[in-house]
Amino acid sequence: MRRSMSHWAIATGLLAIVVLLLITPAAGAQPVSPTVRELVVGSVKDKQDQPVIDARVWLTNTGQDEVLVETETQDDGRFALSIDDPGAAAFQQSLTLHVERHHFEPLAMELTIEQSQDIVAWEPVALPDLVLQRRISLGFWAAVGVFVLMLVLIATSKMHNTLAALLGMALVLGLTYLGSLIVPDIYILDFEHALGYIDWNVIFLIMGMMIIIAVVEGTGIFQWLAFFAYRISGGRTWLLMAILMLITAVASAVLDNVTTMLLMTPITVQIALALNMNPLALLMPEVLASNVGGISTLVGTPTNILIGSYAGISFASFLTNLTPGVLLALTGLTLYSVFIYWGQLKKARSTVSPVLLQRLKENAQITQPAHLKKAGVVGLVMLILFLVGEGFHLTPAVTAMLGATALLVWIRPNIEEMIEAVDWTTLVFFMALFIAVGAIQEVGLISAIADTIGWLVGDNLVLAMLVIIWLGALMSTVIPNIPFTAAMLPVIGYLTSIIPGAENLSLFFCLSVGSAMGGNGSLIGASANLVTAGIAERAGYPITYSYFLKRGFPALLITVSLATLWLLLRFLVLG
Amino acid sequence: MSGIVCAIRGGPESQSPIRHAIQLAQETGETIYFVFVVNLDFMTMTASSRTHILSDQMRQMGEFILLAAQDQAMQEGVQATGSVRHGNVSEEIIALCQEIEADYVILGRPRADDQPNEFDIARLESFIGQLELQTNTRVVLADRGEPA
Repeated sequence: MRRSMSHWAIATGLLAIVVLLLITPAAGAQPVSPTVRELVVGSVKDKQDQPVIDARVWLTNTGQDEVLVETETQDDGRFALSIDDPGAAAFQQSLTLHVERHHFEPLAMELTIEQSQDIVAWEPVALPDLVLQRRISLGFWAAVGVFVLMLVLIATSKMHNTLAALLGMALVLGLTYLGSLIVPDIYILDFEHALGYIDWNVIFLIMGMMIIIAVVEGTGIFQWLAFFAYRISGGRTWLLMAILMLITAVASAVLDNVTTMLLMTPITVQIALALNMNPLALLMPEVLASNVGGISTLVGTPTNILIGSYAGISFASFLTNLTPGVLLALTGLTLYSVFIYWGQLKKARSTVSPVLLQRLKENAQITQPAHLKKAGVVGLVMLILFLVGEGFHLTPAVTAMLGATALLVWIRPNIEEMIEAVDWTTLVFFMALFIAVGAIQEVGLISAIADTIGWLVGDNLVLAMLVIIWLGALMSTVIPNIPFTAAMLPVIGYLTSIIPGAENLSLFFCLSVGSAMGGNGSLIGASANLVTAGIAERAGYPITYSYFLKRGFPALLITVSLATLWLLLRFLVLG
Repeated sequence: MSGIVCAIRGGPESQSPIRHAIQLAQETGETIYFVFVVNLDFMTMTASSRTHILSDQMRQMGEFILLAAQDQAMQEGVQATGSVRHGNVSEEIIALCQEIEADYVILGRPRADDQPNEFDIARLESFIGQLELQTNTRVVLADRGEPA
């Protein structure tokens, strides 16, 4: 009885709070003074017609320094100078508008006599768009230097990816806050602006998918599938290779490539050893297929997640626009792999020792069938929501978090183990990376690159598509494709806005294909390559840089060429 | 207890130590203890947080590699067992030698090419010194096998 009363008391209290909140006017809703009017309105843009946010805008009497009124530009670059009774204030007949922002040349524009008179007479004045010119500051070189340092540290594996990105972020903020005390021009961007560059859609989508993966990876499904491939291939090693490539490609489209290869590599080594063949003849095609297969979905590669969030490309759009190209590229890749490894495939023994076969069976069992079924059901619902969610504004990040939470509630795993399974270092990597990329965007490097590419390709969409695909592919062989893609997004956004016909977002799909397939060009091109090489080396079959280059680079040329053909067909012929 | 410890990774480079171990076992009548050490240091720069997934898979792979070596030894009429251990390769070999009071340990010779290897010549010599100091085991260096 007493407990029931306390529940009622809590419920009544909550209801009262809700009612009070509903009937009380918002604290911030101050009555507007009838004497304040927005008299000068306009917007500030950069040379590429992009809004310049948080620029300081102020008005002075011409030739004087005293600030009469000031404001800052909003997210859309607009500003409004709200003036209180100008006639009675210190306004003269000639006024000058000033605009100032870090990394831009300051602008001072003397208003016309008519405009000034209107303001003094308290009549609104709408100014034409103001264009700020970029300024190459010391902060520009500092931000570029920090970004290059970060790329080198990641590409050469001198430092963990996350640590390198954190170092980049720390240097940007350190130079801004501490360096600018000594040399003011070294300012890059402040913390508030830095936080604005973090794409939380990406962070939550990756986090949700990581939880799903953590459940799936413990079920033994990959090992079972690999052994299934061995069984149905019936001793035909070329068929075994093709099926393993297909499994890896499909798995990489729904999970991340690193996890796929972490789970596929050890069992593939065992199958190859049982068949007395060099495991690299199966592992290389698998990892190449993994880098290609991930491209077909929004969640298949981190680069697609970045692109999808930035450009608002849906799961269904990735699937329909890229899957045919991926299948074409995979077909070419399979033929190429069979060709280069034909000698190894022929050498395989037709029968396997019973002892080894028995161990293979044991190692390829489904270990958690109940979890697998539940993950399958949740995965199916998530797939449907990914496909149709756009219709009711359900973002992929929300779908991923809903699916992850539903799965956790359903299977009730050890929550601490699940939290440990989330790759927090990767999430921190992305957050720090966003800030490091934000820094080079802030200082104008991205604008300069966009200008250069825009100048190179002009209005030619075909040329732009070719440049983006092949630049992405070749750059991704030498620098990590995630920071490269993150840096290229605003560039592609600019090119999409200026090139006729690019509004179908074709350039973003070109970036997706180039940056992901470029990972096949070299050992350091993708994390999945390094992980596969590490495991293979531990099994006594090292994959050296030159070994990977000799087999991976031709694969890059074949797959990117085929995907290019598809993209040109899709966006220029089929429309 | 006594025996022959043979540290292998798999692959063609391990064939020579395996053959040496089998030959020695045939001469001495001792049991071979094949050992595979799981070391995931290569993950530190790329996917360090995923080592928990890989650890179990690597153990299974190691057991499979050892099983193949044991199968080979048994076909030659030699008694052999396998053991997968986790951690530092040098420390784990020394620990196993101490545990079974091994008479011999068979190691592969370092490769002269640019391929990655656990031991270069200097490190190998240092390791042999350490091994002989901490155990009463004789070290036998096997010739290189066929390149991969």
